[in-house]
Amino acid sequence: MATMGLTLPWEAKISSEERQRGLRVVETENSAGGFSLAASEAHLEDLRIATACQAGQLQGYERLYSLHGRRMKSVARNLLGTANDAEDAVQETFLKIQRGIGTFRGQSSFVTWTFRVLINTCYDVRRSRMRKKEVTNEGTEESPVPEQRAPGSHPALKLALERALAKLTDHQREVFLLYEVEGFRHAEIAEILRITETASKNTLFQAKKNLRTMLEPPRSQPAEAR
Amino acid sequence: MNDMNVTCVDRERIFMDGSAEEWAALEIHAATCAECGEEVRVWKSMSAAAGELKQEWESPYLWPKIEQRLTDQMEQKPSRVRGWLNSLGLSTLHWQTVAAVALLLAVSGTAIWMVLPPVDSGPNKQVFLKSRTVSEVERAEAEYQKAIDKLDAQARPQLEAPSSPLMASYREKLLVLDNAIGELREQTGLNPANAHLRRQLLAMYQEKQETLQEVLETKR
Repeated sequence: MATMGLTLPWEAKISSEERQRGLRVVETENSAGGFSLAASEAHLEDLRIATACQAGQLQGYERLYSLHGRRMKSVARNLLGTANDAEDAVQETFLKIQRGIGTFRGQSSFVTWTFRVLINTCYDVRRSRMRKKEVTNEGTEESPVPEQRAPGSHPALKLALERALAKLTDHQREVFLLYEVEGFRHAEIAEILRITETASKNTLFQAKKNLRTMLEPPRSQPAEAR
Repeated sequence: MNDMNVTCVDRERIFMDGSAEEWAALEIHAATCAECGEEVRVWKSMSAAAGELKQEWESPYLWPKIEQRLTDQMEQKPSRVRGWLNSLGLSTLHWQTVAAVALLLAVSGTAIWMVLPPVDSGPNKQVFLKSRTVSEVERAEAEYQKAIDKLDAQARPQLEAPSSPLMASYREKLLVLDNAIGELREQTGLNPANAHLRRQLLAMYQEKQETLQEVLETKR
């Protein structure tokens, strides 16, 4: 079971943050000063999904899937390597959400909570896959089957980046994927990974610095090294 | 024009947490500095290449599978929230009052729909109401709001001291709805004849009504 660790009392959250949510939307999304209807509509949609899921309504889960299923699959595919494993992880994530909905305290948005569960689930899947591999293969290395590529993609660049990403730490890879690939904002990544926004920015910077070294070493160095 | 002065020393800081203005200034600097030019190019190309990792594929059987498993899981275990609420004995609602309020809401809501012109097909074309119609809409709206306030009063004790995460989410949803309603009311105050705004406001009222009804339903 993944560690969701949502233990803070939600009663406390209501008293201290109930108005701040709206204010935060004003401050960050609409610096002109007025209450942003578009931002509050997004927040409202999140709450609609959360309350529907909490009330045990299947359409809440369906809405979650229709709005975020693609991105969930993409994150899982990048963390696990194959589409099959990614779909299994997404399915398992929905079941975990249903089982753990009572522990959702609204301290983050429902969607970021969902992605946190997804990432934990991916690591669970990866761990169990590795255990299985150890048992069945007894050390024989099995290379993943290459998947069909989208037309117009650049296989060499993609492969190089995938290889380089695999060498990053889990944390750096998560931040890079969420920010650069999936387009999450640092504030959202901070909620998903339970870190600060500054930590998210720092980690992304480190990840890109490492990738830069792996993908394209600085031109002046190789000649000097010899 | 960008008057900000940026040098090579600032490059990494801007890579990490630079504002749009700082990035623009770095680009200007990079145009005359070979080293920074190369670093900016590589840094940006990594972001561009990352787009290649976005994974998209169709999975027509995935949702039906998930739905089936969710249903199975739901049938295995009765709703914990509902069981918990029942065990707390939260079943003291006056249903005659709720029924009366619901009827009032239905009547006043229908009245507004009847007064408002049909939804316009063009996204930006605004429909303006005639002044007599405006007063009719405002009257019906006031009645509708009064009815919702009654429903709100019924649900308020439960919302003030939420006894479950679900109730806490309902409470937060109602806060967001109230904010949106407040903003829309302000805007309709400035443009009383704008039917589009009126419709948005009505949609918010309706959602508030439905949410309050769900709160009361949960109490049962």
